[in-house]
Amino acid sequence: MGGGGQLLTDGCRADGRAPGAAARLEHVTLRYESGTQALEDVSLEVAQGERLCVLGANGSGKSTLASVLCGLLAPDEGSVQLVGHHVFDATRPQPIDFDAYRTARRSLGLVFQNPDDQIVTTIVEEDVAFGPENLGVPAEEIGRRVERELRRVALSDYAKADPTRLSGGQKQRVAIAGALAMEPRLLVLDEPGALLDVRGRQAILRVMGRLQRAGTTIVHITHFMDEALEADRVVVLERGRVILEGPPAEVFSHHDAIASLGLEEPFSARLALRLSLPWTCDDSTLERAILDAAQPPQTPSGTSPAPVAKAAGTRNPASSRHDTPPALRVEHVSFAYDRRKNALDDVSFEVAQGASVAIVGQTGSGKSTLLRLLCALEAPDRGRIYVGNVCTTRKRDRRRLHGSIGYVMQHPERQLFAETVLEDVSFGPQNLGLTPDEVRHRCHKALDLVGLTGLDDASPFELSGGQQRLCALAGILAMEPRVLVLDEPTAGLDPRGRRGLRAILEDVRRHGITIVQVTHSMEDAAHADHVIVLDQARVLLEGTPAEVFSVAHEELLTGAGLGLPLPLAWALRLERAGHPLLGAPLTLGELVRALKRGGAPCP
Amino acid sequence: MSMRITLGQFIATDSPIHRLDPRTKVCAALVAMVSVFFIHTPAQLVLGFAFVLAAVALARVPAHRLLESIVPLVAVIALLSLFNLLLTNTGDVLATLGPLSITDDGVRAAVLYSLRLVIGVLAGMLLLLTTTPAQLTDAFDALLAPLARLGLHAHELAMVFSLMLRFIPTLANEASTLADAQTARGGALGEGSPIKRVRAVVPLVVALLASSLHHANDLSRALDARCYEGGAERSHWHPLRMRRSDWAALALTVAYIAALIALR
Repeated sequence: MGGGGQLLTDGCRADGRAPGAAARLEHVTLRYESGTQALEDVSLEVAQGERLCVLGANGSGKSTLASVLCGLLAPDEGSVQLVGHHVFDATRPQPIDFDAYRTARRSLGLVFQNPDDQIVTTIVEEDVAFGPENLGVPAEEIGRRVERELRRVALSDYAKADPTRLSGGQKQRVAIAGALAMEPRLLVLDEPGALLDVRGRQAILRVMGRLQRAGTTIVHITHFMDEALEADRVVVLERGRVILEGPPAEVFSHHDAIASLGLEEPFSARLALRLSLPWTCDDSTLERAILDAAQPPQTPSGTSPAPVAKAAGTRNPASSRHDTPPALRVEHVSFAYDRRKNALDDVSFEVAQGASVAIVGQTGSGKSTLLRLLCALEAPDRGRIYVGNVCTTRKRDRRRLHGSIGYVMQHPERQLFAETVLEDVSFGPQNLGLTPDEVRHRCHKALDLVGLTGLDDASPFELSGGQQRLCALAGILAMEPRVLVLDEPTAGLDPRGRRGLRAILEDVRRHGITIVQVTHSMEDAAHADHVIVLDQARVLLEGTPAEVFSVAHEELLTGAGLGLPLPLAWALRLERAGHPLLGAPLTLGELVRALKRGGAPCP
Repeated sequence: MSMRITLGQFIATDSPIHRLDPRTKVCAALVAMVSVFFIHTPAQLVLGFAFVLAAVALARVPAHRLLESIVPLVAVIALLSLFNLLLTNTGDVLATLGPLSITDDGVRAAVLYSLRLVIGVLAGMLLLLTTTPAQLTDAFDALLAPLARLGLHAHELAMVFSLMLRFIPTLANEASTLADAQTARGGALGEGSPIKRVRAVVPLVVALLASSLHHANDLSRALDARCYEGGAERSHWHPLRMRRSDWAALALTVAYIAALIALR
């Protein structure tokens, strides 16, 4: 994030208390030393007990606002009052009141994106106690608070656990408990769910609901619009300015403005819009509206003709055309990191040449291990994996495969290392031993493909977060792999970034490259040709999206910590409320078409 | 290439050893580890094992966890005994292998010196298995506090130590992911000539440094948000207190050292 504003770590001066709201910003402007304007003339008041949601795309100034609100960053202009302390006022001879900041910070809590960086000890309960210890809270009181907060985030059973062994969602709940144990008058949550899977995010939202009912003042910063529905008030930021403000229903009704921001509306709102129904983002209102609009049933014909997926383990001829050999063939593969537990247990499947495959499963189901084996980074303990005709068992063969199977790790931008974009992208092609001309040609082709043309000489570390990811992706595409393997490629991106990346992957696929991606978005998975569901080291289900995401599998999928894609879930909801059968729509478009047909079964 | 490092492998159970003040445990463990180098006779070796195994029994930690921690050191210990076996020239010759000869002194040294190391490793592991990193930090903080007058920032050092315990596994994990990513891009980690190896590791090190800076940045934000101020007065959830059992444990440690000297 570079330097900027003024970091507040030490210093001292007179006291300045001011009564009223939990936080009040007036005409606050903040720019970083690099010249970027992070906040511009922002006026905002957070009332006691309110749940405020701040929405904005990446780079809109959300995180800066979070830092200002929790007293870690002072602005350049305007005035700031935090929990009753007048900490900053540009009209004063000495605008920053360090002492007031220090006092205010004792009543402010912050939880941010990366759970790993917020946990400072290796025992859960000691981490929760860390904040209160710093505040000088007496020992017995610390014990009470630790117990209370761990219960509140539903982690009482993990009090003595090592946080590094918890899932991302659990870690984030530890961080929330740690902030709450300091009994803050204002809790700032800066994209707490950005790096979590669906289940982790839902758990965080549940905790937030509980806090809201208990009267805790919350500022929740996010780019997931559906998370904003529960808030009392929503503020939308763009380029450091507040452009919309009000209750969620009112803010989201400005769909043109929202669409231009690259934010995604809640599914229910998009559905209402496509059906030309009165705008709403309340699920039950929409359900009633759709049912009212539906024509009387035209003799529904039995149950939905949902195709049935193959039971786990059986061969799936659908995925392998007989004329071309499969791009990947996994035969009875098992793998373990230690003797106690198998990370993969008798996994078999095939991926057809040029197909796009989605692998879904919750944290710890073996997805990442499977990717490592597919990328020939390690050999399976038992069973065989073939990439084309080459088996990955022998080390020399694995070495040979590294050019033809591209691996995009989770948060690939973390692997950037070179001084210029071009140098970074050419790392792979150079390792393939190509001529300098060929290397240069391939790098430019890859950079064009991801839309980073002309940035050859820029430093990869100065690109924006989304561009860094594209640069890392170009580095892999430049090797011209036949199979591209990606581990949650859209994690942490805002909706615009996600759409951009999806379009690039579509493009890559049109070049005939087979794509295998791990995703935790069921909607993304529904767009693939083939879906593999992993659960507890085994293949639970596999088949086409229509086969896997069927009504019959609803319970199985929920049990594995997954769900149905939203369009299908909505179709089921409507059918159960008496709507004629809608088939099994997997995309918004299909659902809309089915509803417009008035619910005749799909051909 | 996959690294799975675990440090601070605290096992949460209740035992007389767990309940000891961490300062007592740190002192006793350090004494036991240093005493290892004064073990020269079989009788002393037996005494050393008796002392450390008694502590292990009291601590009620699963035996396999202790054994696991020794396994990585087996190679070092084996190498050490081999050197002792082959390079000791004093005593009666038992066998000759070309220029090398095995003597009875050599056999004695090989057995004694490798086994006495095991005592030291067990003492250290027992400390880590029964003491949380926060307790360790507090103990070092308290034990080093007298040095503050010499300008040593004991508290900050202790805090850095505890953060290190916390972040080493995270960074090790990241290093292993980065190594994977670079191997997949045809990087030749751990292959070829030494110069090639060094060159191949540069991208990994740069990326890891960049990510460490990122972690450091986030961490300082987290520490500020939780009102941590180095050197400031803070309270303790579990304040350090020397109980009767602590004094007894220290007395036992002193008695062990006395006995070790007596058996010389």
